Amino acid sequence: MDGNQGDAEDELPSLLWGLDPVFSAYAQLYIKDILQMRESQQVPGIYFYKTHPLFQVDVLGTVVYRKERDDFYCYGVDDSTGVINCLCWKDENLQDLRDSLTGDKDPTGDGFNIEEQLRKLLEAQRISTVVEIGDLLRVRGSLKTSREQREITASLFYKVNDPVMSMQISRMLEMPQLYRDCYDKPFHVPSTELSASSTDPSSFQCILAQAVYILKEFLKEKEVTRFRPYDVEYLLHPLIQQPSTDTSEEQEPGSLQSTVPSQIRNLLKETLKILQVEGEIFRKVLSQDEVYNVTEHDKDLLAAICDILREDCKVEKYAEKGCHVLHILSSVRQRYSRNLNKEALDVVLKFLECNSEIISTSDAHYTIL
Amino acid sequence: MLPAAAVFHFPWEISSELVTDGASIRTFGRLSKYLPEESKAIITSHHASVEYQVAVKTTFVEPFAPIIGAQYTVLGEIEKSEGDGEVVVHARVFNCVDGVDVALLQKAVNEQRKFFRERDGEAGTH
Repeated sequence: MDGNQGDAEDELPSLLWGLDPVFSAYAQLYIKDILQMRESQQVPGIYFYKTHPLFQVDVLGTVVYRKERDDFYCYGVDDSTGVINCLCWKDENLQDLRDSLTGDKDPTGDGFNIEEQLRKLLEAQRISTVVEIGDLLRVRGSLKTSREQREITASLFYKVNDPVMSMQISRMLEMPQLYRDCYDKPFHVPSTELSASSTDPSSFQCILAQAVYILKEFLKEKEVTRFRPYDVEYLLHPLIQQPSTDTSEEQEPGSLQSTVPSQIRNLLKETLKILQVEGEIFRKVLSQDEVYNVTEHDKDLLAAICDILREDCKVEKYAEKGCHVLHILSSVRQRYSRNLNKEALDVVLKFLECNSEIISTSDAHYTIL
Repeated sequence: MLPAAAVFHFPWEISSELVTDGASIRTFGRLSKYLPEESKAIITSHHASVEYQVAVKTTFVEPFAPIIGAQYTVLGEIEKSEGDGEVVVHARVFNCVDGVDVALLQKAVNEQRKFFRERDGEAGTH
């Protein structure tokens, strides 16, 4: 396993490929480069141009080879740097449709005949997909290697009408710029402050997701109603490895406190931020004392919302349809906490509805049961 | 089997040592003469106030309707004869592109060459 680790390490882990915009685009590469790219060791069918993982390309070139088979064409496309085979499937549906349309020509010949127009459209489509040697062809598709030969399986292909070479020239002028601005620039995984200090750039997102999960589970299991950050900080300790713990002898609690890396506090801060955005927790009052209420376990909040609904649903205006979410939000902000966000309200309403205390009458209206 | 890639060359480079016998190339020029009985066409172009002629063998692209005086692009293989050193491009593709902006085309070819020179130079130094 150690033998090929060198190469595999050059590759970005496949989990992060989606972060590279080149991955989900049709890369406009020189055919020479397409033929020389190295295939991924993790996933066959994915290729690397420098550090960019990709599998879809977009080429424009002269057709120099052509072979027709029963259900597809093979075109050799030459962009003056290389020649690549493009597999272009024939559209059978189109063929059937075309066959069904021929024969019944409109005898009157005047006015707008939709069949006639459709026939013309299909004819235009047919002309642009029938390509002879010497024509200019544009192909978009995914790459594959079959019988040691790299080829493009076209998802889109058409003949380009380029009588004065303007398309070819503009592409030739554009591509060096595209390479300099994009493909030749190494792709860096967007990293946060924390991951910059750790060796693996991928670890932070991973740890953060674990931290959010751990905290959620803890709050649910212990039915925590409110907490302060330092109450839960210890939960995250296992996530951040402390290099000194293995080698050095046991430290006093006091000194351990001071050696807790800022990483843990940072991680906790990010985790709490996510939980707030999701509405799982909220701060009733913004003060020096950083207290977080757990939305679902805040009995006062639940009672306040039930009260609001009970009272307001008696009002004629809301009697039939119930109260709108935004109305509940503004009432609960006046009555309970100015700091409650919409997400937290959604969490409470969902919770109350699960407990059959309230019921939704539409997407955004609730009434008391 | 796929043919080799036809690299862009300017007409004034065709007879030079840069272009070897059998190489696949593409170039351009104005069609000045067509001799159907010999399957031979002559395309001409000007560069630095010198006129350059490129002979094109048209056996693969016949029949075609020649427009004398129009710009053409040719894509094919170089054939150098032993004796008089005459260079002929055996055309696989011979397209009329009258109206092409030749100056811009030259610029585009030069940009592409410059890009590859820079990139390959970079890779060489590392």
